[in-house]
Order: sequence, then C-alpha cells, then structure tokens
Amino acid sequence: MNVHDKYKPLTWWEKTYLPAIISGVLLTFGHFRRNMVNHIKKAIGMKPKVSGAVTFQYPEVRRPFWPRLRTLHRLVRREDGSPRCVGCMMCETVCPAHCIYIVAEERPENQIEKQPRIFDIDLGKCIFCGYCVEACPEDAIRMDTGIVEISAYTRNDMMIRRDQLLSLEPKKEYYTERPDLEGKPVL
Amino acid sequence: MADFIVGAVEYLSKFIFFIIAVLVISPVLTWVERKQSAVMQDRIGANRAEILGLRMLGLFHALADSLKLFTKEYFVPKGADRLIFHLAPCISIFFAVMGFAVIPHADTLIISGQPVEMQIVNLNIGLLYFFAVLGMAVYGVVLGAWASNNNYALLGGLRASAQMISYEVSIGISLVGIILVYQSVDLMEITRAQGDLLFGFLPKWGIFLQPLAFFIFMAAGIAETKRIPFDAPEGESEIVGYFIEYSGMGFGMYFLTDFLETILIACLTVTFFLGGWQAPFIDGWILQTFSDSTFLGIFQLNNFILTIVQFLAFVFKVCLVIFMMMTIRWTLPRFRYDQIMNLGWKMLLPLSLFNIVVTAIIVYFIG
Amino acid sequence: MPTITIDGKELTVEKGKTIIQAADEAGIDIPRYCYHPGLSIVGQCRICLVEVEKMPKLQVACYTPVMDGMVVHTQSERARKGRKDVLEFLLVNHPIDCPVCDQAGECFLQDYYMKFGLYDSKMLEDKNKKSKAVPIGKHIVLDSERCILCTRCIRFCDEVSKTNELGIFHRGDHAELLPYPGKTVDNPYSVNVVDICPVGALTEKDFRFRTRVWYLDETNSVCTGCSTGCNIEVHTNKKREYKNEGRRVTRLKPRFNKDVNEYWICDEGRYSFTYVDAADRLGVVMKRVKGELQESTWAEVMPEVLTALQSAKENNKRIAVLGSPKMTNEDLFALKKFASQTLGVSQMPVTVLPKEKPFSDDFLIREDKNPNTKGAGYLGYDTDHKATRKLLDDCASGGVELLIIFHHDLEAGFETELVKSALSGAKTVVFVGSNANTTSARATYILPSCTYVEKEGTFTNFAGRVQKINRAIEPLGDSLPEWTIIRNLSRKIGKALAYFEAEDVFKDLTKNTAAFSGMSYSAIGDGGLVAEENGKLKQGDAKAAAQKTETATA
Ligand code: SF4
Ligand code: SF4
Ligand code: SF4
Ligand code: SF4
Repeated sequence: MNVHDKYKPLTWWEKTYLPAIISGVLLTFGHFRRNMVNHIKKAIGMKPKVSGAVTFQYPEVRRPFWPRLRTLHRLVRREDGSPRCVGCMMCETVCPAHCIYIVAEERPENQIEKQPRIFDIDLGKCIFCGYCVEACPEDAIRMDTGIVEISAYTRNDMMIRRDQLLSLEPKKEYYTERPDLEGKPVL
Repeated sequence: MADFIVGAVEYLSKFIFFIIAVLVISPVLTWVERKQSAVMQDRIGANRAEILGLRMLGLFHALADSLKLFTKEYFVPKGADRLIFHLAPCISIFFAVMGFAVIPHADTLIISGQPVEMQIVNLNIGLLYFFAVLGMAVYGVVLGAWASNNNYALLGGLRASAQMISYEVSIGISLVGIILVYQSVDLMEITRAQGDLLFGFLPKWGIFLQPLAFFIFMAAGIAETKRIPFDAPEGESEIVGYFIEYSGMGFGMYFLTDFLETILIACLTVTFFLGGWQAPFIDGWILQTFSDSTFLGIFQLNNFILTIVQFLAFVFKVCLVIFMMMTIRWTLPRFRYDQIMNLGWKMLLPLSLFNIVVTAIIVYFIG
Repeated sequence: MPTITIDGKELTVEKGKTIIQAADEAGIDIPRYCYHPGLSIVGQCRICLVEVEKMPKLQVACYTPVMDGMVVHTQSERARKGRKDVLEFLLVNHPIDCPVCDQAGECFLQDYYMKFGLYDSKMLEDKNKKSKAVPIGKHIVLDSERCILCTRCIRFCDEVSKTNELGIFHRGDHAELLPYPGKTVDNPYSVNVVDICPVGALTEKDFRFRTRVWYLDETNSVCTGCSTGCNIEVHTNKKREYKNEGRRVTRLKPRFNKDVNEYWICDEGRYSFTYVDAADRLGVVMKRVKGELQESTWAEVMPEVLTALQSAKENNKRIAVLGSPKMTNEDLFALKKFASQTLGVSQMPVTVLPKEKPFSDDFLIREDKNPNTKGAGYLGYDTDHKATRKLLDDCASGGVELLIIFHHDLEAGFETELVKSALSGAKTVVFVGSNANTTSARATYILPSCTYVEKEGTFTNFAGRVQKINRAIEPLGDSLPEWTIIRNLSRKIGKALAYFEAEDVFKDLTKNTAAFSGMSYSAIGDGGLVAEENGKLKQGDAKAAAQKTETATA
C-alpha cells in the first residue's frame, strides 16, 4: 500500500491551516491560563490544588530514578575486593558502540583463572544501552551507581578505568520503586 | 523658550518611545518569550540567573544574555567577505529600527498651544515608507548569508529571501484594502480614521472593516519576522540558517532583529487593524471629565491625560498582539518550505486580491 | 564399490570407508569429537550416532563401515535424541567455564549444545573437581575438568609425533587425561594437540587470554619457517588492536593440504611469525650520516641510492646483489630482471647457510629454513653457499662498488672478519629487509621491506610446489614489498618495470620462466601447483586441496 493512501487530502478549509491553528492555540492558551492562575494563586499565598509547573529544581532536588534506569557502570567486587569480572569480553563483544576495552590477564589463584587487566569504558561513546549488563555471564558489570552527570574536558578523561569502575558503589537511595507517587514537583 | 521646551518635550517623548520599544522591550521580550512558553508547557522557565541571591523570576537572564553576547568571541569564518560579514547584521537591525519611525503612538499632544504629533517622523507616505523599509530588511539576511562563505548559510539565505519577498507581496496587497477604506497612506490619518464608531457601538477599526486583510496581514507579518512557524530560513537546531556563522554580537543583532520585527509587526497590526492609539469610549469621557486648564505650565490637562491614556492603550494593544504572536509561535510546528510557498502564493495572495476587489466594489457603492 | 544413501542422498563410496567419511565427502555434517581424519578411529565419544535402517540400535558413524544398500539417517528423531543424550553425559562433569575458556567460540561442545542439546541440566550432584590450568609442556596448558576424554591428543602423540606422552588415568568419573609421570608434552609438534582438542581442555600458552576467537580475521598463507611450506591460516585481530600487546598477528593455525602438511604444523613454524612485530623490525627508511644510521624517508633516500647506482654503472664499477630465499618468487623475479637488465649483474647468489646444521626430521621440519630456495633456483639464482662466499671475497678485495643485500644476516653463515671486510670493502651497502641484524647495522642505506603477512606473493617449497601467500595486515610503517622497492628503483633508471600488483609480476614471471609456465594466481588457489624444471606443469591436486574439510583445525 502506498503510504500516501493513508492520508486524506486536505480540504480547502484545512489547507488554510486555520482550524488546526485555532485548535492548537486554544490548547496552548488553555495550559497558559491554567498554569498562570496556579502561579498567581501561589504567589498571593493561596494553595493551588496542582502546581503550575512540573519542574524539578535539579541540582538541589533530584528526581527519583526508576529502578530500571541505567546510570554509570560499575564493576562488582568479590569479597576480597578483586573484580568479579573474568574478562570474558562478552560485554565488549555485544557493545554496539564498541566502547569497552578489555585486556585480560592471568589471575594468580587457580580456580578462577582470568581477570581483566585493563577494563576501560569510553563514556564519550557509550550510549547507555545496558547491553553489557545483559550480556555479562558473571553479573560483574552493573549500571546502578546513580551517577548521571558525566562530563570531562578532554576525550581522554571520558575514559573510565578498571579501578575507578571497581571503586563505585550502587546508589540505592537515588532509585525508587514508584517515582510517580514519590516525585513531587517543586516551584 | 517655549519653542525650545516644545521641541525638547517632543523629542523626549519620541526618544522615550523609541528607547522603550527598542532597547527595553526587546530584551524583556526574550524573557517574556521564555516565561510564556514555560507556563504554556507546564514548566518554570529560566530562573537561575541571580544577582546577590535575587532572581526576579529570571528577569536577569535578559541581562546575562546580553552580557554573554557582548563578551563572546566574534568569529569570522575563513574565506568570509569581511566587510559585508560585519555590515550585514547592522543592515538587518538598522531597517528593523527604522520601521518604528512612522508608528504613531498617541494623538496630537498640545504643548503651549502648539500641536505635536506623537510620531517620530510624520510622513504623509508612512505606509509606503514602511513597505520600503520592509523591502530592505531582506538585504541584511541575504548579505549575511552570502558573506559567511558557508553553503548552509547561503541556502538559509535563499530560503529567507524567497519567503520574505513572497510574503511582502501579500502584506502589500492586503494593506491596499486599508488604503481604500481609510483613504490615506499617512499612518496618523489611518489611525485617526479608526476613531469613529460604526453603527454607534463598534469602533471603526480595521479588523472590523477588513477582517480578511487582518488575517492575511498577521500571517504574512509573522512570516516576515521569520519566526516559528515560518522559521525555515533559520531552523537553528536542525536545518540551520543564514546566521549559522555568526557568533557573539553579530548573532545578537540578528536575534534582536527578530524581536524588533515582532514588535514592529505588532505595532503595525495595531495601527492598521486595532485602532492604533485609539482608546474608544474612554476618550470622550476623559475629554468631558477633565478641564482644559493648563497643566505643568505647558500642557492642557485633558489633552495630556488623553495622550497618556492613548499611549498606554497603544502599548497595551501591542502587548496583546505580541502575546498572540508568541502563543502561535509556541503552538505550531515549522512549516515545510513548500507549504510556506503554497500558503504565500496560492492562498494569501489570491485572498488578498479578492479582498481588494470586494473592498473596492463596496467602497465604490457606499463611499 | 558400495552404494549407500545418507539423508536421501545416494552415494557411491569406496569400500572400507566408514559412514562419517562418506558423509564428509558428500558434505553432510555429522557431529564428532573423537573422530579426526588424520588419526586412527576409536569410536570413543559416541556423539556421531546415526540411525541405520534395519539396524536395531543407533550406530557410530565414525566406526561403521559402509555396506551396499545402507540407508543412513543423520537427522532423524532417534539420531538426534541419541546424540543429545550422549552430549548430556559428556557435560555431566563439565565445568562450563566458557567465559574464561579460550576455546569458546570454536568449541564443539558449545556448537553441538546449541545445535541439538538445549536441555536443562538434570544434575543435582556436585561436579567432579579436577586440576585446572596445569602447564603440561612448553606451550600447552591442560584443564582436566574440561576434557571429554576423546583421546584425540593421545592418538596424536602416539601416531603422528610418535612420542607417547599422554594417557588416561583413573577410572569412571575420575578418569583424567594426564601426561605420563615425568613426561611433558614438548615434542616438536606438540601444539597440534591444542588444535585437535575439540574442547578447551588443551589451550595454547601463547594465545591464552589474549583475545576471543570471534574477534579474529583469517587469511590463508604459507608458513615461512622452513622449506616445507606448510599451509597455514594467519589469525589477526584488526578491529581490536589494543589487545595482543601490540602484536598484530595473534596466532597461526595449520590449514589442511593433503600434499604438504595434511593437518599439522610444527611448533617452530607456529611461532615463527613473531618477527613480524619484533623489536628489531624495520619500519623506517634509514641512511648513514657521519657514521650513524639515521631515520629518513623514501623520498630522500631513493634518489641517493639511484645516484649511487648510476655512478657505479657509469664508471663501470661492479654492482653486486645478494638475494634471499626468504623473498617471494615475485620479489626474486623482479630483482633478477632489474639486476640483469639494468645493472648488468649476472651472478646472483642467495644462500647463506647457518654455521650449525639446524634440526630436521623426516616428517615436516626441514633443514633449509628458507621458504623459497627452490624458487630462487628455478629463477636462475645461484643457490650455492659458496657463491655467496665468493661474492663476499670479491667485496673484501675491493672489487665491488655497490652491494645490495636482501634480508641476510651474514654473520650467521660467515666469519665475522670476512663479513666486516666485505661490507667495508664496498663503497655503498644497501640493505633491504624486514628485520635489523648485524648486517643491516653496517649498511649505508636500510630500505624496510614487508614481511610475508603484509604482502601478496608465492613461495616454491622444497618439492617445487608453488603456494600463495596473502596480505593479512597492513605493512608496518614505511615498509614496502621488495618487488615494489625494485619497481620504484627501475622507474628512474634503465627500463621501468610496469608492475602494479604482485600478480603483474607473477604474470611476467610465468611468461619468462619455464618452470612456472601456465600458472596463475587463480590456478594456484589455496592448494598450490607443482612447478617442474622441465616446464611441464603437473596439473595438481589443487582442487582436492582446496576442499579443506571442516575438521582440519578441529
Ligand atoms: S551501555 Fe551499551 S554502549 Fe555503553 S558500554 Fe554498555 S553495551 Fe556499550
Ligand atoms: S561480560 Fe562481565 S565478566 Fe565478561 S568481561 Fe564483561 S564484565 Fe567481565
Ligand atoms: S570447553 Fe570451554 S568453551 Fe567449550 S563448553 Fe567447555 S568451557 Fe565452554
Ligand atoms: S584433552 Fe582434548 S583432545 Fe585430549 S582427550 Fe581431552 S578432550 Fe580429547
């Protein structure tokens, strides 16, 4: 089927764009009126039922994260502090952005033979798809640090290294089960 | 001495009008635009710029922005035509500012018995002057685009010139109806002519006499300002436009031009269609209530109050129109280039021609 | 000859063959662990179960000889179920170490599990623990837990290398593959057991944890370790270069060629690629300035070399060329043509024999450690060691103005005194080669050339088989194939050689050399063609060789 068949041709009246413009303007103006009234109510000390805006004042007020939100990666540690990662390079293979760089090495003790010597993630390339977490057979990489502010002055600084990744902790308190109930916008 | 005072007051009032229009309202307009859009979209809008902990609802952002634009690097691309590159934004802003010269912002003020027109220049061909100025505005854009030595800018400039020229036609022709109705091309005269009442209750404003022309003028006017939904020439974020290579104050001037043109179009809409400075119903009341005794030595009390009221009425109407234009700007998505051209040539132009014919026939038989 | 039907395909098979061999010939894949075409058949693993009509039980395809009228089903429900059950048994004690196992990706357990396993484990018991990561030889690491006791490695050591190092010890669940007490697997072909081990029980020390096999690119090539010219696959890791510690070639694997090396290569050849990225690798053009070698560029050095050649020619001084049997046929031919046509050099030795006789055996390893001595002979070079000595003597006595040496480390074959006097006897010494050595250290100019993994060409092995090498990686730094260097020289002096690719050289070569006549790259293919001195081409087994079975590197 030709995609164009799905669309009715516009009538003369519609072609003036006036009906669409008018209904659109009515909608936006409706929002304007409602929010303005609430803002004014608040300004003069009355308590509006809903706030005039849904904004969170971000650095001061954090919006709780959904439990499934993917934030900066971390590498899980074993009890002795060594990486749980065995350098199997599954995450490196699956990564669609090709931003994980692993070089494996022999691990001193015998039962687990392998561990990553280099484990770099180029956050400048990472698209935070979470595939690495899915692919990991050891549950060694997770994206639950709650860190979303990632920036650097050079490309090189966007690399996060093995030891940094190992030192990160999960941030449970940033996450919530029901952000829709907990999150209250502030003015 | 009296002459001097008259002259001084005259120029002062005009100067104040100009300053308010250009240098105060435009930056404030950026704030208005941000805040209005924020409220429309359930947001707060810019509110972080602060001076000594004072945030003033984000008003300082206008200040911060201008400071930023002034101090930013003014970058001239390699291969650019330096002279024209520097000149183009000035041309652009120059013609936008020039347009304000013929806007009448109140009725005649009487100072020491001498009438002073509340208009920067009282041109009897004000309307034609306005056309001329509007026609020149496109040069700033095209020259800037060409001088940038950037293909994207050049394409943006082409889109801009095509759009501006197309819509100028409709603007011009839609205003012919106004000329026919009010029998003048002097903006002051046109405004005065809107003071009468139609059928005893309806002000004889352009919007009532020329409703079709009003819509055409508004649509074409918004297109002239190159703002959404007619921002195909600029499209900052996606298709990039004629000022892509401008930074710092060069960009600032183009930016300011946009806002100035918005105000200018609003002023003209008010002048042609919303009775200009006319404050219907209260003007008679003011004249009757206050005496014509001397006030402050040189003014007549009722005339002075009337002038102030008229000026406020004018500003109020302009604000209303700007509010409307902003609402439209934050409601509609961008028109595609072919839609812009179709609308201009296939819709607005025939309609405005039709408007002229009908108006002419009616004027012929009635007037 | 019996006629049998496998999966509805009617085949006529040689008598005495087994079902799996018949199926392999017909391109029907039957799973296998213990069966290897290069080893004896034991029927150990039972994964190759197939259903044979009129036989009550499932049969092992590897051990059941074909009989006339046999109807075999490899994909029937019963056969698949049988194999699945066998697989389940094999995995009872398997550690499933895949994340750390180097075999992952080329592991037959993984493959067959995905093909017809896919069951949920029914085991509640703990798995048996055995020793892990035990080095059992210079190059080999054994992980007993992963071993499925297919005995391929044991049979290899018994039948091919004939060194008998490995055996299975203990019984039942505790049976374990180990070297005999006091023995290590250090025979000259030891690493082949890693290739044939169908699982990750035997892994290579050198390759260990370097990368994952699915990152590797494969290029067909020929081993340059000796004149046997074993067929190999060069495995490179071009996409993830940060792995492998700067080494661009990750490993070599033998490639099946029934006329040369069958399934095997020797360890020496397997690790012979290390010079490609060794520290002494030459990647920049160098020239001697005030007694010191300094880095330079082609653009600077080429005119200087040309001037030296020109002036030697004009002054009727002698120019001498010492080729190398490490060069391809193409390189040697271009050199010969240039030297005889333009420089007027007629005698060109190539051989420098090492002072000590190197190890060799009657299987693959040969005494001549150069891949192309035979080819040099065909192309009219003097392959006698004495010819080289004569040339050096001439140099030492001052009879040579300009000496061009390819690759050789002269001190490996001649007395240091002679080499010194020879190299100082010539006014200009141009060294063309891929790696630095004592000779290059005394050269006036060093022109870096490509190694065999960086260029295209052919080698002629000891038996006259012409085999093709292909470019697996980009040339290092400024290095160029030797024929390109010669071609570039010829453009400025004398008759220009109009070559653009190695294939152009080869075409010219086949036209002008009797031994190679009628050959082409496409005819050589992956298997090679035998050249004969009388010019008669033995239309070889190129086709058969190209039919490389999957099992070659199993
Ligand atoms: S989140 Fe996605 S893109 Fe980022 S490292 Fe993981 S797999 Fe790669
Ligand atoms: S997939 Fe997991 S175990 Fe494997 S390398 Fe990545 S983080 Fe390490
Ligand atoms: S041999 Fe290695 S790759 Fe194969 S199944 Fe076992 S652990 Fe996995
Ligand atoms: S080590 Fe490998 S080849 Fe040897 S018996 Fe075990 S599985 Fe078979």
